[in-house]
Amino acid sequence: MIKKKPTSLAKIIKSTIFYLFVTTLGVGILLPAFFLVSLSFLSTREAYQFPLPLLPALSAKYSLTFGDRGYLLSVYDDFDDEYQTVLDTAELEKMSVYMRSQIGAPYDIPDIEDRIAELESGTDPVYFKARKNLLLNYDLFFKVTRDAVPALIRSLQIAGMTIVISLSIGGMAGYAFARYVFIGRDALKFSVLFVRMFPGVAIALPMVIILANMGFYDQPIGLSLVYSVGSIALTVWITASIFMGIPESLEEAAQVFGATKFQAFLKITFPLALPGLAAAAMYAFLGAWNETVSAIILTQFNPTFAVVVYQTLLGAVGHVNLAAAGGLAMAIPSVIFTFFIRRYINQMWGGVTV
Amino acid sequence: MAVAIGNKSFRNVWSKAIPYLLILPVVVYYALFWVRPVLKTVFESFRDTAGQFTLQNYAMVFSDPDFIPAVRNTAIIVVFSVTLEFLAALFLAILINRKFVGSSFFLFVAMVPMALPAVAVGAMWLTGLTAHGWLNSLLFYLGVSKKIYWLAGSEWALLAIIIIIDAWQVIPSVMIILLAGLQNIPVEAEEAGYVFGGNFITVLRKITIPMLQSTIQTAVILRLISAIQIWLIMVLLMGFNRLPVLVERIVYYHEEVPGLDISFQMASGYTIIVSVIVSIAALLYLKVSGAFGGNQEARQ
Amino acid sequence: MKKVSILMLIAVLGVSLLTAFTPATPAEAPPEQVKQTLVFSSRLFSPPQEQEYFINEIIKPFEEEHGVIVNFQIIDDQTLLDRAAVQQSTNHVTTDIVVAHNSRMAEWIEAGWVEDMTEVVAGWTDRTFSTAFEGQTHMDGSQYFLPVGADVYLLLANNKALDYLPAGAELDTITWEQYAEWGAAVAAGEGEGKVCITGIPAKSWIYMFGGTGLSYGAGFPDVNSEGAMEAWKVWETIGKAGGFVPTVLNIDSCVDPMMREESWLTVFHNARAGQVYASNETAFTLAPAPTGPVGTGSIAGVSGYAIMKGSANYDLALQFLEYLTRPDIQVKIAKGTGGFIPPVEEALEFLGNEAIDEVINKAVLVLENGVVSGVPAGDYQDWGAVKQCYDDIFEDTILAGADVTQARLDEGQTCVEDLLKTE
Repeated sequence: MIKKKPTSLAKIIKSTIFYLFVTTLGVGILLPAFFLVSLSFLSTREAYQFPLPLLPALSAKYSLTFGDRGYLLSVYDDFDDEYQTVLDTAELEKMSVYMRSQIGAPYDIPDIEDRIAELESGTDPVYFKARKNLLLNYDLFFKVTRDAVPALIRSLQIAGMTIVISLSIGGMAGYAFARYVFIGRDALKFSVLFVRMFPGVAIALPMVIILANMGFYDQPIGLSLVYSVGSIALTVWITASIFMGIPESLEEAAQVFGATKFQAFLKITFPLALPGLAAAAMYAFLGAWNETVSAIILTQFNPTFAVVVYQTLLGAVGHVNLAAAGGLAMAIPSVIFTFFIRRYINQMWGGVTV
Repeated sequence: MAVAIGNKSFRNVWSKAIPYLLILPVVVYYALFWVRPVLKTVFESFRDTAGQFTLQNYAMVFSDPDFIPAVRNTAIIVVFSVTLEFLAALFLAILINRKFVGSSFFLFVAMVPMALPAVAVGAMWLTGLTAHGWLNSLLFYLGVSKKIYWLAGSEWALLAIIIIIDAWQVIPSVMIILLAGLQNIPVEAEEAGYVFGGNFITVLRKITIPMLQSTIQTAVILRLISAIQIWLIMVLLMGFNRLPVLVERIVYYHEEVPGLDISFQMASGYTIIVSVIVSIAALLYLKVSGAFGGNQEARQ
Repeated sequence: MKKVSILMLIAVLGVSLLTAFTPATPAEAPPEQVKQTLVFSSRLFSPPQEQEYFINEIIKPFEEEHGVIVNFQIIDDQTLLDRAAVQQSTNHVTTDIVVAHNSRMAEWIEAGWVEDMTEVVAGWTDRTFSTAFEGQTHMDGSQYFLPVGADVYLLLANNKALDYLPAGAELDTITWEQYAEWGAAVAAGEGEGKVCITGIPAKSWIYMFGGTGLSYGAGFPDVNSEGAMEAWKVWETIGKAGGFVPTVLNIDSCVDPMMREESWLTVFHNARAGQVYASNETAFTLAPAPTGPVGTGSIAGVSGYAIMKGSANYDLALQFLEYLTRPDIQVKIAKGTGGFIPPVEEALEFLGNEAIDEVINKAVLVLENGVVSGVPAGDYQDWGAVKQCYDDIFEDTILAGADVTQARLDEGQTCVEDLLKTE
């Protein structure tokens, strides 16, 4: 046992280096996303500063004095280490709204009145602090985004149906291409892919018109049908390549033990193909989740989440922190989906019992 | 006797028909929802504004001053991004497939970029690449006070930026296909390679990659097809026209200047040309990589 | 464990499949309150705070008064048209009111997708729509769009730039030459250009330049007249001094660069200028657009309400539009949404003395006393393409620091004229 120590030390060093490397890689991958997340918690004032703060401040320091139009409000700037004027107004409501929406550190009108009283009684300037509302952008986003929750549910339904349609239809064909030799196989397999080769932007509108004429106007299922067109092709190819990697002999062995071909498929091949199906499902989900072009046109009273996010953020110029928050709100369900689906993609060989 | 033969031949026909029946739903599906608009676009690409047969639309596309740059930019992006993305994705997939403690979590981390919607990606890079953005802020904190104008450089610099940020988002989707393929390579196969004296590189070359062949073909062909059709990230960052690429030209005539007398003709001409280019590229890749006919061995 | 989670996944997917096949009833509205729903799709009021304001302060009172629901949606002009095409061609007209930009109104009217409102408007005696926009809201003597949210161009300066203001220049009466000199001085002093224009093609450079052109007696669109040449020379001065922000070709709106202080000077859209101004009133100064020999030139934009042909809620839509175009409501809308100009003559009586009124007042000043032109987009095949004729000149001569030659401008004029509708 003692003899082993040197090797285990080498092992520790090796694995430390390995984990250091993996961590660096992970940090590198997440760095842009980190800034996006950080941005979504910044107030508008912070989000437009240079250098951009790495993290949102937790409070804001204000100072109040007399101004030309009324009272002059200043905010402490960490980077420049000084108070900077932001607003000169006699209207307390305006000041309060400004503190809430631009600085992100709300201060109620009665409290402002108290501070003004201090100012009038001779303390000049008056300094005070307010806690930041870190969720400001998310608050505003969900306030403006009407019917976000039903839209979210609808989008999940649509993505779910897209997965079901494309995995069932595409998976069958994928299996056929992997397991059977037949006339026209290569040609057919290639043609399936043609759906992806033909630029979808060119036919989005006509496709939507066809579906509307078929009675799918403003029906969630109609969108699943549109999205499945693209993801079926992907599924066919992904599943075909995965089925190819699974030795047919395993199925044959099961049949020797008396299983029917279908049972053999279900018990042996299907579990082994799960990583591929999961990868295909991931594609189908993201394709359906993020699409807006067809969804805006085909829906009216039943918009998807992507559509309501688009509607909220279309005009978010000068409000990039809100765009970040909205974009992240939209990303969260897909990130969660990713979190679960990854277990099937990274499934260990032999982890499935026959 | 006759009945038995009939039965046998019926079975024969039946088993021959199975693959076709399995594929039938796909065909029906496409026929219902997809074929009509495609055919219509094909027809339209051969018609002038008066509805007469013409090849003029194609002539107009070929003589469009942006056509050659669009082809060139597309080709550069495809060559570099497919290579880069494939190598990086293969590397990540092999790394994750080592099943180290935390590999599952690392997989999740590596998949995050693909889960971000375009609106988030747009906000992220626009605030990153602008002169007072987070990239320059980061450099500033690291002591570099000179501002870099990321998106104001030469065409080559812009292409490089597009390739890198596209890779950031797309690598995971290539990786998950490769990783799914790697799951089906028995550990024993690679171990056997090491037992017989192979090192990491030879095992990769002689065992892993050959066994992964059809998965690699799938991953690369899917990526190739979408890399040729890249456009959204470029329009998000630079608007139309700055760095023309093929599909951006289609969208340009569809969305940006839809009112021109020639818009529809240009858009359908470009559409057909793009699909022909993509098909040829895909076909070439599949031929060269031996995907056609040659995969009987791979199946066993 | 794995099996269980697979089963659960399948169950979830199955349920979602079932629920989705059931007819799409508006599940959000319980049956006892099946209210009439009016669908209002707008390109205007897209900034989130403006949306919030419009929903809470403008729509809500109407909903409560009439016991109806107004479904307010923000959609860009092109998608609005695409959507209308699908709704009209498949007979599913679910949108009742659209708000389009004046550069796109001709497309709506020519397609026959909007109702003729001439007689209705004649019956409203308490409001007089500003005649400045009749070129776009009307066609062949009939009115299809009711104007809302007009805009002109204002000068917005970061106060840091005030130190460089040329001697003798007053912000409220600054000339274009002084503006150019100013931009050049800032660049020389800061070592970096600080003038913002939108360099991404087909955005608003045509309007920014158009205002300069009008100030020198040019028409609009007019690339190569004598007045236009003088106007180009103003911008040439800035270009030669390296006065534009280095990232100018990546800018699609000057709001972000002005807020980030990447740029310090710009002449742009009054509502967006108002938005930047409101983000820090003490850091910015707002003034009317610079003047030329003929006056203060500005392009005026406007949006317009219209009722979709085939709307099932025509009467309600009409009531809503009657409400929205009342002078007091127009002012309320303008003040709550960044400082658009209410294009109803009676509206100006309702303005007060607050900072936002100042923005509106300055804009009104430009609209009333300036040399103003609308956007004759309907005369051209595609307005976006016309914009690009201007963008190209900017990019290959002004930004490059080259001379603007008459030959180049003649080429640009041909570019514009080739786009005139052929009939």
